[in-house]
Amino acid sequence: MPAIRASGIRKRFGELEVLKGVSFDVRRGSVVSMIGASGSGKSTLLRCINRLETPTEGEVYVDGVPMGFVEDRGGRRRPRPLSEVNRLRRDLGMVFQQFNLWPHMTALGNVIEAPMRVRGLSRAEAVALGEAALEQVRLAEKRDAYPAHLSGGQQQRVAIARALAMQPKAMLFDEATSSLDPELTEEVLAVMRELAQRGTTMIVVTHEMRFAREVSDEVMFLHDGVIEESGPPEQVFGAPRSERCRQFLSKFIGQAR
Amino acid sequence: MFSEALRESVDLSLFWDYREVMLSGLAFNFHVFAASATAAIALGLGAALLRVAQALPFRVLGTLHVETFRNAPDYIMLVWVHFVLPLLLGAALGMRIEFHPFASAVIALGLVYSGYYAETFRAGIQSIPRGHLEAGRACGMSERQILWRIVMPQVVRRMLPEGLNQLVSLFKATTIVSLITVPDLMYRVSMVTATEMKPLPLYTGAALLYFAVVFAAASLVRLASERWRRRILA
Amino acid sequence: MGNWERLVWNQREVLLEGFLVTLHVCALAFAAAILGGLALCLVRMHVRPLRPLATLLVEFFRATPIFVQLMWVNYVWPELFGWPNSFFTAGWVALALQSSGYLAETFRAGIEAVPRGQREAGEAVGMGPALVMARIVLPQVALTTAPAIVNQFTVIVKSSTLVSVITVQDLMFQSQKLVNVWYEPIEILTATAAIYIAFVFAVSACGKRLSDALRRRFGIGSG
Repeated sequence: MPAIRASGIRKRFGELEVLKGVSFDVRRGSVVSMIGASGSGKSTLLRCINRLETPTEGEVYVDGVPMGFVEDRGGRRRPRPLSEVNRLRRDLGMVFQQFNLWPHMTALGNVIEAPMRVRGLSRAEAVALGEAALEQVRLAEKRDAYPAHLSGGQQQRVAIARALAMQPKAMLFDEATSSLDPELTEEVLAVMRELAQRGTTMIVVTHEMRFAREVSDEVMFLHDGVIEESGPPEQVFGAPRSERCRQFLSKFIGQAR
Repeated sequence: MFSEALRESVDLSLFWDYREVMLSGLAFNFHVFAASATAAIALGLGAALLRVAQALPFRVLGTLHVETFRNAPDYIMLVWVHFVLPLLLGAALGMRIEFHPFASAVIALGLVYSGYYAETFRAGIQSIPRGHLEAGRACGMSERQILWRIVMPQVVRRMLPEGLNQLVSLFKATTIVSLITVPDLMYRVSMVTATEMKPLPLYTGAALLYFAVVFAAASLVRLASERWRRRILA
Repeated sequence: MGNWERLVWNQREVLLEGFLVTLHVCALAFAAAILGGLALCLVRMHVRPLRPLATLLVEFFRATPIFVQLMWVNYVWPELFGWPNSFFTAGWVALALQSSGYLAETFRAGIEAVPRGQREAGEAVGMGPALVMARIVLPQVALTTAPAIVNQFTVIVKSSTLVSVITVQDLMFQSQKLVNVWYEPIEILTATAAIYIAFVFAVSACGKRLSDALRRRFGIGSG
């Protein structure tokens, strides 16, 4: 069973259709990168997976469980209530482009908040988990720092630790390095590379072509709400079948090769 | 009893009967407002310029002015200016001086609100990017030219919303001048209440009238500020 | 200068009593204003049928001058509602009404200023709306609005001088009573003004220290 399956996802914002029927599978332990121009729908697609956006049509399955509906024994379907969607969200970790750390809590506070309040762990258990997660992103010494005193790269790594502390089944990265100054990007990519090496299931929306080529098991090129090209990185970067993909990649000279 | 009282307070016909008296009282509020606003803005600008001056004595003087008047309750200032200041001046000049209530009101409110305006102007002055001043100096402009041609026009534009809000506050503050017998709307209401013995329609009418005026003014300021914010914000 | 001793220092107990009444009135008004402002704000944002009424109340409390509200609460409310039944109560209630209007707006701006991304980060880890509000939004609102709330307390203190007009025995009332007894306004009124100015200055200064500390630690704060 795939860890994540998207099936026929369509998303409309008023008149504008941003996703026009997208389907894909993500195998457990694999890293899938999504690339494409701005406006191609990559972020929207990612946000449909943990239901921060609700698809107009189509469905997302996490470990076989549909996010949008509940099926009873008679096979009848009803919409899944928000409280249950929240329960499913615990198994998906998301890292945002704007970090979105909570400024009134320390780094450790940010990381242990959800394990305590959402999973119901005791403070001691949450702190143990949290410190381990901060250790993993190499920020253990900053546990008591407030986000205002951390650099962008450090904030993003804390955000990754915050997602990891929930021990999710898969991690979703929404342009995690796009807001960072170039010299801070590498420290975050290094953490992401390590996660991939450990066998974390990851979906990464990114502009970092070199990273995508080196780390992914599969790359998907989105254009105008549709997956134009998908396959292993050697194929998508080396010998893309789609002309648009080729054109898109030509703007990243030197990065993907 | 509640419904009878409600009907009585909503029945504003008594207030309407006295409308000329009431409106001429409101006019006094406007007169006090206009005069004290002028004083407050002029004094406030002066105090702000003192606070950003190079010389320390000027800065201290400006700060003293601002902190004294900004933190003073309107009412105590009103009473002090009307009852104490004439005595002090009289002692200094060797004569017996009395202030006309209108004058006391204008001086008192002018002083208190000059404190607020000084802060508004100072924040505006200090928010002008240093680069603008340096560009002026690089062109060979004198400090005075820089002040009046570069700084002040920008200060006015940036601080206009806050400045207008403070004007609305000042107008609301003029309602206390009845306490030193300036015949404004509240004064008229209390006089009429003394003869007619019917406070409900009169105080309700006054509240509604003040509300209408202030709400209209505040809404205009809000709308104007919203439109300017998109244009000015730089 | 013997006047100062005779008129002010020797009367310090009277003045202190007045000051304590002032503090009492202001504390009650302040607490009620925070609760009232929060209630008005949340009703406006979440209880759709009551929204126009709440908005009207907020606008009315903000636009009507405090002196007018004081007279209105003191003379009209007892006839309409049978309450308040004391001048003291009318005093702090009127002050609370005025400030609750301002605080309702302050809280609304504070809630809307919490970046949407932070709510999403909470949702992404499985927090429900109530948890997001309680753990992420409201704590930040408390921190960002703290300076404005302290400022509103200074407004209450300054406006509280007017309750002397309805014979509440605050500092202003006691000092005017002394002036009426002794016929010597200079020292008494100057000292009273100085006390008010010093007190408001002190509260303002604390507010500024608080605002600076919040900005240093959390990087948030107005302006």
